[in-house]
Amino acid sequence: MRAYIAGRLATAVLVILGVSIVSFFLTFLTGDPAEIMLPPGATAAQIEKFRAEWGFDDPIIVQYWRFLKRAVHGDFGISLRHGQQSLPLIAARLPATLQLTVTAMLLAIALAVPLGVLAATHRGGPIDLLAMGVALVGQSVPNFWLAIMMILLFAVSWGLLPTSGRGGVAHVVMPAAAIAINLMALLTRLVRSTMIEMLSEDYVRTARAKGLRELFVTSRHALPNALIPLVTVVGLQFGYILGGAVVIETIFTWPGVGLFTIQAILNRDYPVVQASVFILATAVVLINLTVDLLYVWLDPRIRVT
Amino acid sequence: MNQGTMTRRAALRVLGLTAAAARLGAGAPVAAAPTGEVKIGLAAEPNTFDPHLTVGRNTQIFIVNVYDGLTARDVQGNLVPALAESWRRLNATTWQFTLRKGVKFHNGDDFNADSVKFTLDRATNPETKATVSSELSTIAGTEIVDPFTVNVITKTPDFLLPVRMGELYGLMLSPKHTNAVGKEAIATKPNGTGPFKLVTWAKNERLVLEANENYWRGAPKVKTIVVRPILEDAARIAALQAGEVDLIAPIPHVRIAELQRNDKLVIKTIAAPRIFHVTIDVRKPPFDNVKVRQALNYAVDVNAILKTLYFGHGTRLATVVDKGALGYDPSVQPYPYDPNKAKALLAEAGYPNGFETEFDSFTGSIADHSKPAEAIGGYLQKVGIRAKANVFEFSSFGPRRVQNKTAPLFIYSIGNAYLEPSWVIRWMTQGGLGMHYKNAKLDELLTRIEATDDPKKRAPQYSEVQKLIKDEAPFIFLYQADAAFGMSTRVDYTPRPDETQWLYPLGLKG
Repeated sequence: MRAYIAGRLATAVLVILGVSIVSFFLTFLTGDPAEIMLPPGATAAQIEKFRAEWGFDDPIIVQYWRFLKRAVHGDFGISLRHGQQSLPLIAARLPATLQLTVTAMLLAIALAVPLGVLAATHRGGPIDLLAMGVALVGQSVPNFWLAIMMILLFAVSWGLLPTSGRGGVAHVVMPAAAIAINLMALLTRLVRSTMIEMLSEDYVRTARAKGLRELFVTSRHALPNALIPLVTVVGLQFGYILGGAVVIETIFTWPGVGLFTIQAILNRDYPVVQASVFILATAVVLINLTVDLLYVWLDPRIRVT
Repeated sequence: MNQGTMTRRAALRVLGLTAAAARLGAGAPVAAAPTGEVKIGLAAEPNTFDPHLTVGRNTQIFIVNVYDGLTARDVQGNLVPALAESWRRLNATTWQFTLRKGVKFHNGDDFNADSVKFTLDRATNPETKATVSSELSTIAGTEIVDPFTVNVITKTPDFLLPVRMGELYGLMLSPKHTNAVGKEAIATKPNGTGPFKLVTWAKNERLVLEANENYWRGAPKVKTIVVRPILEDAARIAALQAGEVDLIAPIPHVRIAELQRNDKLVIKTIAAPRIFHVTIDVRKPPFDNVKVRQALNYAVDVNAILKTLYFGHGTRLATVVDKGALGYDPSVQPYPYDPNKAKALLAEAGYPNGFETEFDSFTGSIADHSKPAEAIGGYLQKVGIRAKANVFEFSSFGPRRVQNKTAPLFIYSIGNAYLEPSWVIRWMTQGGLGMHYKNAKLDELLTRIEATDDPKKRAPQYSEVQKLIKDEAPFIFLYQADAAFGMSTRVDYTPRPDETQWLYPLGLKG
């Protein structure tokens, strides 16, 4: 087991390095920060001088090597835009992003599991139809559109929730719902189909034959087994949720990693982009690892030897 | 009788009360202390409060609330005294500033000639890696004459130095504080002489300013200002409509008319000094022929572009001199939309069937350039000019400009932060960044203007410049768009023509 985890962590280092190289080169292939940083009246000569001073005129390979040498010591460099160390800047925004994404995940699961189970147990009936309708809408609605519609309805027209920003519990409702909707739809379909499968298994038939109540059969025998694939999917979806959070954090000006990173990309603030890539890639790798370990724990049939 | 006595007594009592009230009134302070709180929603927040490391206009136009320059602008955009009471050019390359006495920084440090020398030395020191260094590159050094007089020596004559030393690039730092807190901390712990102090700043969340009650111009009217960055246009407008904020900027043009109908809101627009234009590479035939360049100007219906893309919220410009700039001459009329005239000029130039060329535009910059470019391309097509449209991402268009690889036509815009036509025109005729127009007569006119220190004497000289540029047509002259501010009826605010978000005069009604 220990060797397994160590192996996984070693792979993680390679993954993070790979993502870092790709993002570094992409950042520079589309232009360097010199022009963005200078006032609009700068002349061509002044721009060249500035690039030389900051080392932006060196080959990209040289710049990446320079960056990497410092990064292995945990120094991702000073943000070009903010004038502060970039890793602490990103790390300070991680709690906001985790608050948002974890709330969204819990919300999606809390809605999807009962809806999926009801749809499976009432297969073909009006509840199933409704649940599948909700899932269809949830998967096809673009979340940025939903976000703006929610702002107009809940904040402007009814004044129930704040329009944007981070503060109390009320602030997290709309952005979390906007992120949760697609995942909720996906999970509802998943729970429904696995539940249908489980309900036709021999052990369920046996449980029913013993005379157990249907509710007990569903909740104690079928559901726990149906939830195993759910764990895998939720784990895999975490990366997508972080991606979705970028859009939603921007719309709601949610002060998380996504918003900060998107601004850094637009400003070619590559130390911040790199710090962010490092943190996000690490988070995704760790969560996937946790999910795999959880999976082993949940399903005793799978044991790594 | 009794009745009369009663009345007299009552009258005396009233008199006495009045006198007491008057005495109380006389003892009260004359100017009201700052009160209340105003919340503001802005599309962008500053990147730093270090005036030498600012990136982009959005930072410069905001941090002025914490600092002062040696000069400032009034609400009409005229240059007025600030930390300098007066200034004059001693010789071609020396400007002398006489400083205001008794001004203190927020922490109590005194403002004097040391502060000026320290600030300018820091800004021009290569080690600072100042982002604004390009705009201060004429400065050779600063000399202290006495504690309240400084001479700024320039490498070449620089008539714009008093403007540079204002809110743009002349915000003054306290030497003691700056050295004490260190380079990185200035970004978030500024210590200026300005009307507001920065209390807290959580990036992407909120920024809180508090009135500097000892401000040398007198305390500001509002005690607390909370700035929330709200990036998304729809969310920013929603925050104003929901009453979460009292003032927002900017508002996209498409939403202005709808919000103007809302009687709980006040929408104010002002012509922003961003000058849209299409640069023509005059070195490349057929654009070396002035008739072709004029034809381009006749071919494009700029008013229709303003009406459809900007919903009428813009100003047609005859040249590259904006309405708010010094010496803007309204008698120089824009080229009218006349496609037949354009075709006739093309025929005269030897292109009766038009020609093929390329036209660069880009997305992802501070303002929309790709949609106007698309419209212009359509108009050019109508007179036979088939321009292949190249659309870039802004940051990849930049290197194309730096390497002089731009197409013969490219759209661009420049913010005339100096409100000075010469600054814009010099930049646009620099011979780099894809801009290659040169004209000896124009150069002579500008050189003469630049030797004139008095803005009132400079202004009329710009008429000839505008006429010349219009006739020479080295650009397709376009427009400047309006900037729109939205506010609740409880605040009183007038936007400034140079886009500076100067909050000192901001007040609450009632």
